[in-house]
Parts: sequence; C-alpha cells; structure tokens
Amino acid sequence: MDNVILKVSDLRKNYGKFEALKGVSFEVKKGEIFALIGPNGAGKTTTLRIIATLLTPTDGKVEFMGYDLKKNPDKIRQGITYLPEEAGAYKNLTGLDYLKFMASFYAEKPQDVEMYIERAKDIVGFKDRLKDKVGTYSKGMTRKLLLARALMTKPSLAILDEPTSGLDVINSLEIREVIRGFVKEGVSVLLSSHNMLEIELLSDRVAIIDKGRILEMGEPKALKEKYSAENLEEVFRRLVQ
Amino acid sequence: MNKFINLLKKEVKELVTFQLVISLLFTMVLFYFIGNIVQSEVKKIEEKQEIYVLNLDDSQESETLLNGLSYAGFKVNLLDKEDKDQAVEHAKNSEINLLLVIPEGFGQAASEFKFKEIEAYYFIRSFSMASSASAAVVDHVISEINKLISNNFLKANFPDLNPEDIKNPIKSKGFVVVNDVVAEGVAAEISNIVYSQSIFIPVILMMIIVFSSQMVLSAMAMEKQDKTLETLLTVPINRKQIAITKMVASALVGLLSAVIYMVGFRYYMSGFMGDVTASSQLNDLMQRLGLQYTSADYVILGISIFFAILCALGLTIILGVMVEDLKSAQTMVLPLTFLVMIPYFISMFSDINSLSLPVKALIMLIPFSHPFIASQNILLGNYDVVFYGIAYMLVVFIILIFICGRIFSTDRVLTMKLRFGKKGLLNR
Repeated sequence: MDNVILKVSDLRKNYGKFEALKGVSFEVKKGEIFALIGPNGAGKTTTLRIIATLLTPTDGKVEFMGYDLKKNPDKIRQGITYLPEEAGAYKNLTGLDYLKFMASFYAEKPQDVEMYIERAKDIVGFKDRLKDKVGTYSKGMTRKLLLARALMTKPSLAILDEPTSGLDVINSLEIREVIRGFVKEGVSVLLSSHNMLEIELLSDRVAIIDKGRILEMGEPKALKEKYSAENLEEVFRRLVQ
Repeated sequence: MNKFINLLKKEVKELVTFQLVISLLFTMVLFYFIGNIVQSEVKKIEEKQEIYVLNLDDSQESETLLNGLSYAGFKVNLLDKEDKDQAVEHAKNSEINLLLVIPEGFGQAASEFKFKEIEAYYFIRSFSMASSASAAVVDHVISEINKLISNNFLKANFPDLNPEDIKNPIKSKGFVVVNDVVAEGVAAEISNIVYSQSIFIPVILMMIIVFSSQMVLSAMAMEKQDKTLETLLTVPINRKQIAITKMVASALVGLLSAVIYMVGFRYYMSGFMGDVTASSQLNDLMQRLGLQYTSADYVILGISIFFAILCALGLTIILGVMVEDLKSAQTMVLPLTFLVMIPYFISMFSDINSLSLPVKALIMLIPFSHPFIASQNILLGNYDVVFYGIAYMLVVFIILIFICGRIFSTDRVLTMKLRFGKKGLLNR
C-alpha cells in the first residue's frame, strides 16, 4: 500500500448530460508504467486531464502522494508533469529557452535549472539544434523536446498522453527507451494510448477503458493468458464484444 | 517573483515577433512618408503661387486689384494676348493653373457701381490641396477688392461717416467664458484649436486598445491551438499569475507599439496641422482661459488611458478563454472594437456631456469612454468627472481580475467556448 503514489477512486466526469467517465478506479505504484488503453473517446484523456489538475471531476476521489486533488491541486502540480496529446511548444522561443522556462517552475535553486537542462539535452538527442527556434523543429523533434520537458525534473509521476502519437517507428522506439530509462530511476509513468501493441511492450500494468468504464486491469501477460489472446488488441476485442 | 518574471519574459518574447516589428516599422515609415507628402503640399500653398492675368483694362481699379493679388502672396504674371480666347488657349497648352481676365472698362464700371465681371479660369490638373487653396484665396482677394472699392465710394459720398459703420451698423464683440474666466475671443476659434490639439487622444487610445486586445487574443488562441496552455496550467505556479502576466506583457507591448504609432502619427498629423497652429494671440487667450494641458494634466490623462487599457485587457483575457484558434480570435476582437468605437465616434463628432441621461449612462458604463471624456474635462477643469472615471475603471478592472482569476483556477479556462449554434452562445 505504501508503494502506491496515485489512487483514483470512482472517478466521474460529466460534460452537460454526457457522462465521459462513469466510475473509474485504479492505482499507480512507484516506479511502474501504468497505461490506460482504449479507443478514441473512451475517456483516457479526460482521466489524465483530471489527474493533471486541468479538469475538475464531477465526482470521485484522486489522491496523489496523500494529497487530495480537490483540496491540494498546487501540491499535486509540484509532483507531476503532463504531456498533452499533440501538444506544441512556444514557437518563438528556442528549444533551450523553452526548457529553461519550464525548468524554472520546478527548480528550488539556480543549479537545479542547469541540472534539468543537462538531463533534457540527453533526452532530446539534438543538442546542436536547441538554440534554434521551436517553430523550425520537425514533429518528432518537438515531441522529444516536450518529453524532455516532462521528464527532466524527474517528477514523481509523469502523465503522458499518447507520447508517440504521429511519430515514425524510429522516433517511437527512442521515446519508449527514454521512458523506460526514467522509470528505472524511480519515476512513475501514467500513460494513455490507443496503440495497444506499444502499450504491451512498454507497460507494467494496463487498464482497458471503454465508454468511460474500466473493463479490465492487470499485467499484459496475465490479461493475455486470462483471455487466451495473442495480444492486447485481441483482449480488448473480446471484452467489448 | 522569479516565476512571475520568467512568465512575463516568455509572454513578451511570444508577443514581440518578427512580424510585429516589421509591421510597426512599416507603419512608422508609412506615416512619415505620408506626413512628408502632406507637408510639401502645405509648403506649396505657403509658397508664392503663380497667377496669370489678362488685363484688358487700364485703370486705377485694375491696378489696385493686381497689387492686392501680389500682396496676398501671388506672383502675378501679365499675359500679353489680344483677347480672352487667346489667353485661355494659351493657358490650356501651358502649365497655367489660374487665369484671371479683367475686362475692358472694368475700372470705369466699378467706380460707377455697374457690373463688369472678372472671369477666373481654374485649370484643374490635380485635386491636390494646393490647387483648391489657391482658388479660395483668389475669391478672398476679389472680396477684399470689392470692400476697398465700396469703402472708397462711401468715403467720397459720406466723408463724415465711417464706411464700416454704414455697411454694418450693428456691432458685436465676442467673449469666451470658461468656468470663472472671461476673455475676449471667438468661441469657434477656441473650439477649433482644442479639437485640433486633442484629436490625437481618441485615435491613439483606440489604436492601443484594439492592438493590445488583438495581441492577447492571438496569444491565447495560439496557446490553446498548440496546447501550450494545458502544459502551463499543470506547472506549479499560481494561475492568477498566468492571467496577470498575459495582461502585463500585452500592456507593455501595447504601450510600446502605441508610442511608435504616436511618433509616426505625429509626423502624419503635423503635415495637416502645420497651418492650424495657434497664433501667439490665440495662445495667450487659451492660456488665460486655462485651456492648456499642464504636466499634471498629462499625468492624469495618462492614468485614465492606462486604466482603460487594463480594463480592455481584462475583458480580452475573458474573451480569450473562449477562443479555440486564431480564426475565432479574430472574431472575438469585434465586440471589443465596437465597445471602443462607440465612445470614439461620439467624442469625435459630439459631446458626451450633452447626451440624454439614459444614453449618457450607457456610454459611462463602457470603461473605455472615460479617457475620451477625461481629455475634454481636464481642459475644462472638471476634475471630479475625471477622477470618478478613473475610480470606476479601477473597480471594473478589479472585478475583471477577480473573474479572470476564478476562470483560470477552474477548468472553465479549457472548457468555456463561445459557439454561435442552435444550442446557444455559451457552452461548457
């Protein structure tokens, strides 16, 4: 139980009459990669946005490292980072300025910023282009920059929404490697994807979500065994049929 | 504090784009260029202009007329032609713009008070200021000559009387009263000077408000479009600070842009205003009436304008929350522009104080009306109205900040949208 850093209980979110989440519950342990998988519109992004303090839940409870999301959103923001799906960075800033700008919010002393930047440089892999404006970057470079921003501070929990969305195979592989590396250093990752193959390769545990409800949860291997399936896609198909 | 400064620096960097710098420089150059052209036109008017005269009369009166034209600043060239047709034909084929034909027997007829018309031919080769001005001056000269001839006639026939007393037996003397000060002068002249001196204020204020608001809306739209706002809202910083830095950055860039516009606009207007500058006599009168801005007045006016800008930016941030992309940002600036246009046009063409009470109350409710009202009331010494306006804008600004803070601290900042659809205006 002490190992749990995020506890989500009976989370509900309504947009007017539409119920986006209908009682979602799960836990994320320290140093694990937990994934929410499901089709578009299943409620993955809504769940992540609530945990990232962007949306207010209609009902339910979110506890992060003992802090209640409704009562202490500021405390939660200190321990998390969030990478939105298909997000961009400030196009008129250079990559380096962008990283420095974001690092300044987490650093307690000036040396921390330098440390974060060095870490980010290792993640992005294009140190020579960091002094160029973000507007000149390719999609893959921007995504790596944003991932570097999300991981450079070694947050307790990195929330990554479709981290490899729209990227080619090589870039996706590199990003998966980076995420694994940080998890080994104690960072917990909560991610979402509709790419079930990727999740199978990356995650320690998964929750299959559809129409605002979690249908199944567990380790990918255990789920495949339980449903006698070759991959998670097949598990998902059997669950929704 | 460091976080605030960092945010502010980022906002300013985002706003001061290459396109913005180019557009400001272009505007400056454009204003300077137009101002120079207008100034050269005004100079042309002031320079000695050539006038061609075919004098078919050889009398004292026609000589007086020609001397009068020279005195009015014209370089008078006499044409040596047989008749009117030849002179007109000659003028057509050369660069002559103005031709006067003094008919034969003009002097004799004038002394007997019989009609003999002077024919004036204006050759329109352009519609510039100089060409229309010269025509007006000729009319003025002819009217002066008329006055001279009639005065001479009256003096000859009524030597004991002043010709002016015969023509205008009832005299009037104008006095202008401003507050408790009474001074001799013409109200229309005073009004013209005040108008020409304060015409800059509404123009510049409108520019700053629309320009700054457009910047905030575009910045907000870009933040939403690129989802950088989502990222920013998850970092450990007070969300009110996010809203405030956006406003402060826009106000700074807006003011800087306004200064650049003002310099350019001054060049532009100095071209027009060169001929409207108050004479020293009129300046003395203005000073006596207290119709001149003192340094303290400029400070008060500056405060009023600054609060209007802050109110506009507060409102813009709220509108900006509802934009989804750059396209919707352009639409969203329209209601704000209308709110600025209403007091702008009223102050340009009417007096807000003279409106009916309900309309006046409605205008007063618009915070941007107050600097327009202030610019005239400061001159008239009605400081109470100005200070009430500043206090009102301060209250509006605090309310707007409070609303902004509330919006930014909830998920409305991401979910509020303005849609013009069947379901109504505001969707969450």
